[in-house]
Amino acid sequence: MVKIENLSKGYNKGSVKAVDNLNLHVRPGEIFGFLGPNGAGKTTTIKMMVGLINPDSGSISINGYDISRQPLDVKRSIGYVPDNPDVYEKLTGMEYLKFMADVYRVPSKVRKERIEYFLDMFGLTNAASDLIKSYSHGMKQKIVLIGAIIHDPALWILDEPMVGLDPKSAHQLKELMRQHCDKGNTVFFSTHVLEVAERLCDRLAIINKGKLVAIGTMDELRKGDQADSLENIFLELTE
Amino acid sequence: MRTFFNLLKINLNLNFGISALKYRFTKEKKRLWEPILIGLCVILGLGFMTVTISFLMFAIFLAGKQVNKPEMVLTLAVLAGQFLILFFGILYVMSSFYFSPDLNILIPLPLKPSQVLGSKFAVIMINEYLTLLPMLLPAIVIYGAGMRMGFLYWLKGLLIFLAAPVIPLIIGSLLIMILMRFINFRKSKDLLAVIGGIFGVIISLSVNYFMQSFPKVNEEEIVNNLLSGQFNLIEMIGQRFPPSIWATYALSRPGLEGLGYLALFLGMSVILFAALMWLGNQIFYKSVLSGQEVSRKHKALTKEEIGRKYVKTSSAVSALFWREWKLFLRTPVYAMNGIAGMVIAPFAMLIPILANKEIDKDKMLSFIQNPDYILPISLVGLAIMLFTSSMNIVASTSVSREGQMFWISKMIPVHPKEQVTAKLIHGIAIQTIGVLVTGAVFAFVTRISFLHLLALLLLGVIGTVGLVAINLLIDVLRPKLDWKNPQEAVKSNMNGFLGMLATFAILGVLSAAAVGMVLLNLPHWLIYLLLGILMIIFAVALSIGLFAVAEYKYPHIEA
Repeated sequence: MVKIENLSKGYNKGSVKAVDNLNLHVRPGEIFGFLGPNGAGKTTTIKMMVGLINPDSGSISINGYDISRQPLDVKRSIGYVPDNPDVYEKLTGMEYLKFMADVYRVPSKVRKERIEYFLDMFGLTNAASDLIKSYSHGMKQKIVLIGAIIHDPALWILDEPMVGLDPKSAHQLKELMRQHCDKGNTVFFSTHVLEVAERLCDRLAIINKGKLVAIGTMDELRKGDQADSLENIFLELTE
Repeated sequence: MRTFFNLLKINLNLNFGISALKYRFTKEKKRLWEPILIGLCVILGLGFMTVTISFLMFAIFLAGKQVNKPEMVLTLAVLAGQFLILFFGILYVMSSFYFSPDLNILIPLPLKPSQVLGSKFAVIMINEYLTLLPMLLPAIVIYGAGMRMGFLYWLKGLLIFLAAPVIPLIIGSLLIMILMRFINFRKSKDLLAVIGGIFGVIISLSVNYFMQSFPKVNEEEIVNNLLSGQFNLIEMIGQRFPPSIWATYALSRPGLEGLGYLALFLGMSVILFAALMWLGNQIFYKSVLSGQEVSRKHKALTKEEIGRKYVKTSSAVSALFWREWKLFLRTPVYAMNGIAGMVIAPFAMLIPILANKEIDKDKMLSFIQNPDYILPISLVGLAIMLFTSSMNIVASTSVSREGQMFWISKMIPVHPKEQVTAKLIHGIAIQTIGVLVTGAVFAFVTRISFLHLLALLLLGVIGTVGLVAINLLIDVLRPKLDWKNPQEAVKSNMNGFLGMLATFAILGVLSAAAVGMVLLNLPHWLIYLLLGILMIIFAVALSIGLFAVAEYKYPHIEA
């Protein structure tokens, strides 16, 4: 589903390595947690996966498409939610969703069902006709999320999706992620909430200073020590 | 006091982008020529204005001297300078005191409201010296040199210059603060911006009308006007606004009397400043906080509404076009900068004709309708049509306006060619409004036939395509996405300026071709046809160029 090979990205003419020779393989049907301290290179990696920034070297293949050679095919098959929901504040929530449904070419019947379902699920039905500028951070996050998955993409790429969500919405999002993967799809998400990652993810990767320092299931990361928490493993690996 | 100066230092740093400049020169090393070019343009612009105003001031000084009122130049300069400061100050104060994003950071800090207000006030004041410089400096220098004043005069001149913005700026601040205390400004923010824009337009049109009906300035005429009492107006206004008279007397009266007026002028500034600080502590945060409350309609959409309005599918280009259209019209600073100019410019051109009583309107009409002149006049009309409709920032900031939201354009599975096509159509649609307005004004003045007007409008719209394409191309090449306030996207964007240069170049080529064809005595229909073909060539070539550049550039624009 996601294949990242020898991916590198530097800033300031290469003097600072944000991502350093990263290799990752995410399989269909799994919730994949992407962890790391602040500035470790998580968002940079995600932005390269979705085509927002270009890598210096290496390749990214998503659903069998190469991001640099077949960007539109990649974009059609993913839904992306950024860490900061900068969105068109002068559109209403509904206008934004219609716009997203149009550019993703979602048929009338499908979009009607999905818009109604998600607005209801995230408690936005009453706010959908208001301008997005009147939304709270969490509401913006939710409208961006609905827009990103309105075309039912096989791969969801979510950068810190729980930030700003109220407990109920966060719970619903986790349920949605699980249901999505149970249908053979994939969720790739970054988070700082280690408890969520520990409970939700099928596999995890930890990066530090741009380099991959661990990857595997919780059991594989524990290396046999069943008492070890993800927090301890994380702190040990990112010291 | 230390806290205040630290805050002031930070605000000045942000205002002039000092750290950002340092970072650009030492770390990023990208497009270093840009800030230098902007700096040079500002210096040249200010220099040009200062020289122009100096000539005017010198004439007024000489005239004043003849009627024994040489200090009139000082009153006029102080009054005009302070009026300008009041006008610009109100706009600056509104955006800096109430709409600035840093308030969310500053309010929770352990700072007194007066410290925040004071530092913001000081930054505006420093900016205002640039407004004041071309107005006040020539008058002080001309009077001082002309009357051979001594050292004390120059010292007083410096103090007056430094203190001049204080009083008008405080008056502006007090007005705004009291106004903001009583209205929920955030709710009416867009409305306020539109009112501000309209206010600006009314002022500029009035100045235009006033200048047109004002006699041309030469020394002799000014003397006549002085003797006939026309300039009494200035003195009269001066009497109503005593600080300008105090500043004049502080500079022109000798000895203790002058110093007394100086003390009065400075003392009043200090007292008003103290009053502003006191009021700041009382009401500033209250009005800012009341404005933070957000209102929502909270009207639930029924299933029928969702079905009726939003379920209908549209093509990607159509969806992108309507996104552009809505965002553009719903952001007042974009709409004002994009549309107001092109709608008002034709009327502003009409005013001198209507206001100038020396023009014989019937004679003018018979001149225009003379078959020998109708073609050149129509071509000039066409040029004006294209010029006024393209003097805007619609296309040249089209990508820039997306700012931090550009990630959406990069994420959606829509080819860059389709994305810029939507922007191109949007630009043409907006500029067509300009073509139609100018066309209507032109038809009103010239009374040309309907068919003739239609031909000109058609050419106007065709000509617009190439102009929009080149402006858009510039913005695709170098978009300014890093802004916090929509104002920065259009007003502090070099692309607007570069787009105008490109527009001038194309209009220059079209005008040269038109002049050549007129000189060759080609039949009228052939000239219009050839011009149309030339415009189509421009439109096609520039659109192809735009699509090619977009295809290459879009993947490289990093959001």
